[in-house]
Amino acid sequence: MVNMTAGNEREADDLFKEFRETSITEFFRKNRAHLGYSGKLRSLTTIVHEIVTNALDACEEAGILPEIQIGIDSLGVEHYRVSGSDNGPGIPIKHVPDVFGKMLAGTKFHRNVQLRGQQGIGVAGVTLFSQITTGKPIKVKTSTGNGKVHEIELMIDITKNKADILKHEEYSEYWRGTGIGIEVKGVKFNLGERGPFEYLRRTAIANPHTRITFIDPEGRKTIFDRSSEKIPKPPVPVRAHPKGLEVDEIINMAKATKARKANSFLVTSLSRMSNAKVKEIQEYVSFDLDKNPRKLTWSECEEIINAIEKTKFLAPSMEGLEAIGEEHVRNAVLNILDPEFEAVLTRPPKVHSGGIPFQVEVAIAVGGQAGRNVGEGTRYELMRFANKAPLLFDAGGCAITKAVSSVDWKRYGIKDFENSPVTVFVNVLSTHIPYISAGKQSIAEDRKIMKEVRFALMEVGRRFQLYHSRKRRALEKEAKKQILLRYGSELASALAQLSNKNEEKIRKALQKLVDERITGMDLEEEEANESEMETMLEGESEDDSEIPEADFTTEEE
Amino acid sequence: MEDQKVISRLTNLGKEITEDIMLNESPKISLPQRSIGNIHFNEEKNLLELGDKTSTRSFLNVAHSRKFMQTILIATKCKELVSREKTASIRELYYQLKHTIADTKENTFEDQNESDPLIVDLETSLGVLREELHLKADDKGTLIGKLTVEDSGDFIDCSKLGRSGLSIPSIVEHYKFHEFDAEYILVIETGAMFDRLVEEKYHLKNNCIMVSTKGQAARGCRRLVHRLTHELKLPAIMFTDGDPWGYYIYSVMKAGSMALAHESKRLGTPKMQLIGMTMTDIDAYDLEKVTEKLKDVDKKRISELLQYPWFQKKEWKEQLALMSSKGVRIEQQALASKSLEFVAEEYLPTKITKKQLLP
Repeated sequence: MVNMTAGNEREADDLFKEFRETSITEFFRKNRAHLGYSGKLRSLTTIVHEIVTNALDACEEAGILPEIQIGIDSLGVEHYRVSGSDNGPGIPIKHVPDVFGKMLAGTKFHRNVQLRGQQGIGVAGVTLFSQITTGKPIKVKTSTGNGKVHEIELMIDITKNKADILKHEEYSEYWRGTGIGIEVKGVKFNLGERGPFEYLRRTAIANPHTRITFIDPEGRKTIFDRSSEKIPKPPVPVRAHPKGLEVDEIINMAKATKARKANSFLVTSLSRMSNAKVKEIQEYVSFDLDKNPRKLTWSECEEIINAIEKTKFLAPSMEGLEAIGEEHVRNAVLNILDPEFEAVLTRPPKVHSGGIPFQVEVAIAVGGQAGRNVGEGTRYELMRFANKAPLLFDAGGCAITKAVSSVDWKRYGIKDFENSPVTVFVNVLSTHIPYISAGKQSIAEDRKIMKEVRFALMEVGRRFQLYHSRKRRALEKEAKKQILLRYGSELASALAQLSNKNEEKIRKALQKLVDERITGMDLEEEEANESEMETMLEGESEDDSEIPEADFTTEEE
Repeated sequence: MEDQKVISRLTNLGKEITEDIMLNESPKISLPQRSIGNIHFNEEKNLLELGDKTSTRSFLNVAHSRKFMQTILIATKCKELVSREKTASIRELYYQLKHTIADTKENTFEDQNESDPLIVDLETSLGVLREELHLKADDKGTLIGKLTVEDSGDFIDCSKLGRSGLSIPSIVEHYKFHEFDAEYILVIETGAMFDRLVEEKYHLKNNCIMVSTKGQAARGCRRLVHRLTHELKLPAIMFTDGDPWGYYIYSVMKAGSMALAHESKRLGTPKMQLIGMTMTDIDAYDLEKVTEKLKDVDKKRISELLQYPWFQKKEWKEQLALMSSKGVRIEQQALASKSLEFVAEEYLPTKITKKQLLP
């Protein structure tokens, strides 16, 4: 085992070394799939993704309600112009070359923070793709709102991995935001499930504070309007939670820490780890935690892990995670899908392997515009998101897809799930999403993530079932009433003859009787529902034996 | 029962239900249960009797609503019939009441099978007879023999009606019996055997009254045989096919039926005996070669009969056991394998003389 401390940093070093040794284009070609540029449709969707996420992340950090315009023009066969603009904070002119003209310039890789931009390589990749396929520079227009607007044309100097500014104009105008225009070849537009339109539709659902205008190559304009005025808080970096840590991760962190003692290393590197907690840990381990953290051995780290398992900690902080929130997801779903029924659930945060907090949000929409229109009818559609960014590709192996199909939807009253007008929305939030490597379009089958998604879906399924059975009962009730009224009219006139009484009086009394009987059914039904609900809640419990909620104390530190 | 009394019972039924409705209570009709669970066999009287279990038909129970409405329609129509002194066949009643329910594509009655059982419900629930409701079933059954019947002032000599005899109406209450010359009544299951015996002048040569039920006996036929045996003090002998179906027809003539258990006392003839065809006849008359194999439905019917309390006499258990073990059935007309005259000249007279009869 050779120096296993290197980990992620070594990988990043290797990447940069690769830039120096080979050409950047070669790197791009070799890693196209990883960067999201495999396939004609996918490349176009990736370009739109890079532009949109840049805009959304920037607006979020600056506290601005995003207005985004995307336009795609057809210039010839597999030849398009993509333009995007936003009302974001603008990019200070000195940063423009790095943002658009330098591959892997960002620092996102090494922050324990939830950002959409974890996918792809950033907007510089768009510059490179345009340059490789058309030989043309990209056009950028940006202003921070200080009265000066910059219009820049740039390419990437592929030997130096550095922007090559071809043109720079500056003029006075009070405008703020960033616009980008690029020409690309070898890509293809369509309105299908994996195209830019669907990407934007799903982005709109996951980002209800955003207003997106899209003009497709046919000139059709679609506006996905915002359903919320609340700007999400920008996520903040967080330390790992002790529960769920693994030995090698402790060793990695210990090598990187500036702390001189193992006990202060634990307090500074982990969340929810107080001095009091370290004292508890000390009780369980056989060595002195005063030692140099860089000298912790594998078995000592194992002892720490075992001690952590016996100790109670506060639940992981949500700070690193910024869920969309049930109210906003519901508004977005109502806004975009206009369904007959919807149920939304944001689960409390959990940690997956490595002590990394994650959180699951799900929604189910049935009827209305929910589901996917195919030739012969409406089919079920799954909208997968990672940190609010839509995942359109590689659905098959994704943990979300598998979690959805692991749910027995028949149990919840959806008989033919595949062929029902159902949209299932799943957003997995985490400071570090365990993607299946290629293209970051698919989440690895992490047991805990799958379990969370599954439980969340089961809960919204139960809510649907309640609605469904209520609706069915209402229909039955109406049918019963119709039967009683239908026969009641025959009965009233016959009874009048038989009993020598007034027909109209009998008719009215009978009508009253039927009405009251049907109302009576309402009360019975409510009682039935309540007991049904109780049984269901008693039913399948969430047996999260590894991290029971009881493990976490509730008072604040 | 007088017409006025029937009318008042019907009116009371209407009033009770109307009262329920006015008092905001679920309108309901109480009916004696007519399933096997509420039928008892009175061994002493050899009659089926209806028990006192009742079931309730409630209008607000949607499973009952339609039947409830139909029952009241029938009651209303019967009241009209009795008031107008008219008598309708149950089929006429069905057509009188059948119409489309307002604003629907649904009929009050879709076919006669819906109305017929409800008539019986009404009879049992009110304790009145069908004929008292001025309803009659289709005529079925024939009578021939030296008997004069008075029907609405007309005197009918049943020995002078040619070969077809008197067609038995569904209501025979108004019949008065006058001169007769007969020693017993012979009740025959099939029309074909009846015709054979008429041609052989069996009733004249043997001095009896012959009745054909033509399959399962209708009420009129059963009531007539009941009255003849009681009023003329004549014994009755039945002659059926040798199969579970024929034996069941015999049991209905004798002890009454489950569907009309409430009327067994008026319809049954408990002292009736069966002459044949018996399973022992097969060996006695060497008829093995003219038997027919039992079908699955026959076998099933045999085991059903063995469950009925009124088939628990040892003679009947023997017959049914013999039928099962032989695996055959035998028709009345199989006797024609001997000769056409055999049944009239040999079979019946011999068995009657020797009193080879089943209880």
